[in-house]
Amino acid sequence: MSNLSAWRLGARDALPLLGGYIPVAISFGLIAVQAGFTAGAAVLVSALIYAGASQFLFIAMIATGAPLWLVIVMTLLINARHVVYGPNLAPYLPSGRLWPWLMHGLTDQIFALAHTRLPQLQESQRLGWYCSAALIAWGSWIAGTALGAVAGAEITARWPLLGQVLPFALPALFMVLLAPRFTSWQWTCTLSCTALVALVLKLAGHSNLAIPLAALCGAVVFYLLQQQTVRTEAQHEH
Amino acid sequence: MSTEIWLTLLACAAGTLLLRMLPLLWMQRHLRRRDPVRQGEAMPLWLTVLAPTMIAAMLGVSLIPVSETPSGWLATVLASLVTVLVWRRTRSLGWPVCAGVCVFGLVSVLSLLSI
Repeated sequence: MSNLSAWRLGARDALPLLGGYIPVAISFGLIAVQAGFTAGAAVLVSALIYAGASQFLFIAMIATGAPLWLVIVMTLLINARHVVYGPNLAPYLPSGRLWPWLMHGLTDQIFALAHTRLPQLQESQRLGWYCSAALIAWGSWIAGTALGAVAGAEITARWPLLGQVLPFALPALFMVLLAPRFTSWQWTCTLSCTALVALVLKLAGHSNLAIPLAALCGAVVFYLLQQQTVRTEAQHEH
Repeated sequence: MSTEIWLTLLACAAGTLLLRMLPLLWMQRHLRRRDPVRQGEAMPLWLTVLAPTMIAAMLGVSLIPVSETPSGWLATVLASLVTVLVWRRTRSLGWPVCAGVCVFGLVSVLSLLSI
């Protein structure tokens, strides 16, 4: 596969993300303008922070006049889950000064995509694939914010169903990325429990805690099942 | 926007970038110190478990439909089934997502028409 093909593959892989990114970015742009931000400022928030949930919180806290140090602490707390993404990709990233800066594009969804795709690519193709996928995701987030800030109210009034249907692209993408990992009873239990706990936590209103807490629960389930397997094997040997 | 808010925005942006960047630099340094042939083993086990569970958690969170109505949930269940079935058949990334979104849209439109 040539370098150009790697860029093309990255673009193709990132296309499903647009279904999830653009409607949420349009909502963000609309809410930011309603909260008193200019369209340009809303776009800058999206371009610089580039992390969905924390951007909504940033806007809401600024609009309600919360202390600015608290805005910074809360934004970083919500984004703290990102600390496990880089180390997981490290074995697949060739050395280069550019890579650390490219981590700006490492959102939840780009991590999920990269964690599946990078091991399948040759080392020389990984930079092209990652840049292409990350740029498309970042670009769509910025463009969606601009669109929402300028014409968000009109779009949501004219096509209300679009905002309900397109976001299904994200769970569909996660299903496809996870499906090959259901290789054993241990992983099936772990991943199913994790998804279920996250769903229940989100339904219970703990949106910001749902992902890290459910992932930790899943890891605990994995270790408990592994211990059980080791114990059973030891009993059989005796 | 006031200067204080601009500075807050820059601090949030820089902090978020560091949260994504520093752990990568730490792991790259950790891996460089190890035998390059056995890099996979140099990864802590908890980290390799946490990656798929993070993706599973994202799945769980994103499964909740924008409109939390019975028809929204029905569309989610049917579209999820179709996504998995198309994945089993094609083993590709794009087609299952496309089929899932189409089924979700179809069920949403049908339930709107039936009201």
